[in-house]
Amino acid sequence: MRRMIAVFLFLAAVPLAAQHDAGKEGKGRHPAMGNPRAIEAGRKLFVNSCAGCHGVSAEGGRGPNLRKRGVWHPLEDDAMYTIIRKGLPGADMPASNLTEEQAWQVAAFVRSLTSPAMEHPPAGNVQAGEAVFWGKGGCQNCHRILGRGGMLGPDLSNVGATRATEDIRESVADPDADGFPRYKGATVVMADGRSLKGVARNRTNYSLQLQDAQGNLHMIDLAKAKQVRFAEHSPMPGNYKQLLTKQEMDDLIAFLSRQSVRPFDAAEKK
Amino acid sequence: MTTRFLLMAGFATALAAQVKYEDILKGPGANWLTYSGDYHGKRHSPLTQITAANAGNMVAKWTYHVPKANGLRTNPLVHDGVMYVTNSNEVRALDARSGRLIWEYKDTRSKKEAVNRGAALLGDRVFFVTGDVHLVALDRRNGALLWQKQYGRVEDGLYGSMAPMVVKDKVLVGVSGGDSGMRGYVAAYQAVTGEEAWRLYTVPAKGEKGAESWGKYVEYGGAATWLSGTYDPELNTIYWTTGNPWPDFYGGDRQGDNLYSASLLAIDADTGKMKWYFQFTPHDTHDWDAQAWPVLVDLPVEGKARKLVLHANRNGFLYVLDRVTGEYLRATKLIDKLDWATGIDAKGRPIPVAGKDPTPNGNRVCPGVRGATNWMAPSFNAATGLFYVITLEQCDVFTSSAKEPEPKKNFSGGGASPKPTEVGQFFLRAFDPKTGKRVWEYAMTGPAEMWAGTVSTAGGVVFFGDDDGHLVAVDAKSGKHLWHYQMGEGITASPITYSVDGKQFVAIASATAIYAFGLFEPVQ
Repeated sequence: MRRMIAVFLFLAAVPLAAQHDAGKEGKGRHPAMGNPRAIEAGRKLFVNSCAGCHGVSAEGGRGPNLRKRGVWHPLEDDAMYTIIRKGLPGADMPASNLTEEQAWQVAAFVRSLTSPAMEHPPAGNVQAGEAVFWGKGGCQNCHRILGRGGMLGPDLSNVGATRATEDIRESVADPDADGFPRYKGATVVMADGRSLKGVARNRTNYSLQLQDAQGNLHMIDLAKAKQVRFAEHSPMPGNYKQLLTKQEMDDLIAFLSRQSVRPFDAAEKK
Repeated sequence: MTTRFLLMAGFATALAAQVKYEDILKGPGANWLTYSGDYHGKRHSPLTQITAANAGNMVAKWTYHVPKANGLRTNPLVHDGVMYVTNSNEVRALDARSGRLIWEYKDTRSKKEAVNRGAALLGDRVFFVTGDVHLVALDRRNGALLWQKQYGRVEDGLYGSMAPMVVKDKVLVGVSGGDSGMRGYVAAYQAVTGEEAWRLYTVPAKGEKGAESWGKYVEYGGAATWLSGTYDPELNTIYWTTGNPWPDFYGGDRQGDNLYSASLLAIDADTGKMKWYFQFTPHDTHDWDAQAWPVLVDLPVEGKARKLVLHANRNGFLYVLDRVTGEYLRATKLIDKLDWATGIDAKGRPIPVAGKDPTPNGNRVCPGVRGATNWMAPSFNAATGLFYVITLEQCDVFTSSAKEPEPKKNFSGGGASPKPTEVGQFFLRAFDPKTGKRVWEYAMTGPAEMWAGTVSTAGGVVFFGDDDGHLVAVDAKSGKHLWHYQMGEGITASPITYSVDGKQFVAIASATAIYAFGLFEPVQ
């Protein structure tokens, strides 16, 4: 694999600096990759050095969106590092003034944007985050982890293995950001006058699969409904940025990022 | 807000009932709660809205395409209007009226992709196994993960594909992988906690009784347990079948009967202890796993009521055993093309024809490697007294290799395939288990590649998937064609039937989708 990367980089005529290999330990990845402290440091550097073009949340702007795979071709760690340091000749991406260590920190952060959070866990106090989840945050009213918690929101038992850290952070800070498919709040008035309320797990013009707070499923034939109203916002409160301190938010994200049913070490990457 | 939610809980449309063990004991009705619908493997529904008289009016009601599916093996379960279907490392809950997705669970980090035969239900839990041998418990209401238990290792040559089986407060699982060298077992887990309750190995350890029936590769003997079992609550006995001995096609290194491969095991449901075993094919060299459903029926034998188990075996014979004692009672031919044995002796042991082992240059043997039948679900209708079995008339050329066996390397000691000029043919056959005689048959056309089974109904209809991709309805008494629907691809699963809001549906997985059918409803 390393040989392939080397060949690829050679052919691509990217001026290869030998020094970036110096930081690697044997065959493994650069120690910054997947390191919580490096990722956090990289995030701060990113905001100062990269956000001008790539956006504060890496959502893209003058430069590409770095979070959505659909518009970003994934690079090997080495290639990403090189681009961060040297820029992309011929494109708008300039060389940076970052040190070798800093460039690896940014690479670690950018990699974490599209990898399962468990593989690139963010900094933060996991235990404190756990306390926020089950306490002040009130997350358990709607979310569950391994059978504990509420029924209305997505199960979070495996969220660290399936979503990237920044996606989790975005969902907490701005629940409306992803359009909350399958979790739209809905109120249905049936032809006989009964009223049902919950989240729409699915819907068409003909049927609606509504789940209430107790988890009961109501399979509604919409021919028998008088009125259906969908909430404009996610049922999740949108004020977590105000409700939680920055430290509490970081701790909560750190806790959620580590929710993985299978231990990361034991899971073979596909 | 909370108050309003609480108020809703009492509404009649709320589908809150749990799946109780007692519900499973009752057998199918509106719901279909186990692989076979009941514990006995009869796969017979009491629903009567669709009958032999009106089945010709059936139409497709909905289709759900399972994303990225290929060759679905899943047997849908239905409880209170919700259908549960599986695919490799995935479970989905669908609205059984409309086919709309309610939730999905995907294990994206499983180490192995494998076919999956379906889920199991108990309480508020849905159980399924992953390709990499984990038993997973989900909340049936929203698919939330409750626990996950690894019960075997891919590194040991195992994988998971079967539908788990719930018995009382436990979930039973088996393992696949018997064609590459492994050691089979059935294991039981507490449904609530995932704690292992017992484990029964299907191949003895070195030094244990039965180990003398093997040669030097006993620890890789196989006898996989890749299909769920059936259960007699009165006898507190589970009936579970075992697969081929390994290496499949070369027996030179495993002289002896190779216990307990190609057998039916009677297992105590509480302790996991083996009560008795019956080996259909001692020292099998044709890969004739005993994986076909052990169907539990009560019928008179020579004027005396007996508790029986019917077993249509891959080796070409339809067996009748006493399910209390394991006593062999009778075996008759399932198929016409059967040349490896002249019959079964008084003790239930095959009377082999010499020279039918696989050879390095190939040896034509009937039935072929897939057998006279296989895991395609059979069904039994007490009203007609008939046992409906998918059968395959096919011969294969079996080859063997005396190469030193290599476990876990896809080495099976040879192989088998039909002559290009001698393609097999599938039949749905109705047998009278009191005599073993064939009462009628329905011949299929097609490439002899399907794995579809049957479901029988009190409406007097047998539904089955045919070898050309049709779901077919025939008259349960006569086998007369009533209706068919072309699903557009090969079928590798068995149909079920259920009812929601008073409407009967018949559902089956095609290679890539779930289909549901019902009676045409004219505009009022």
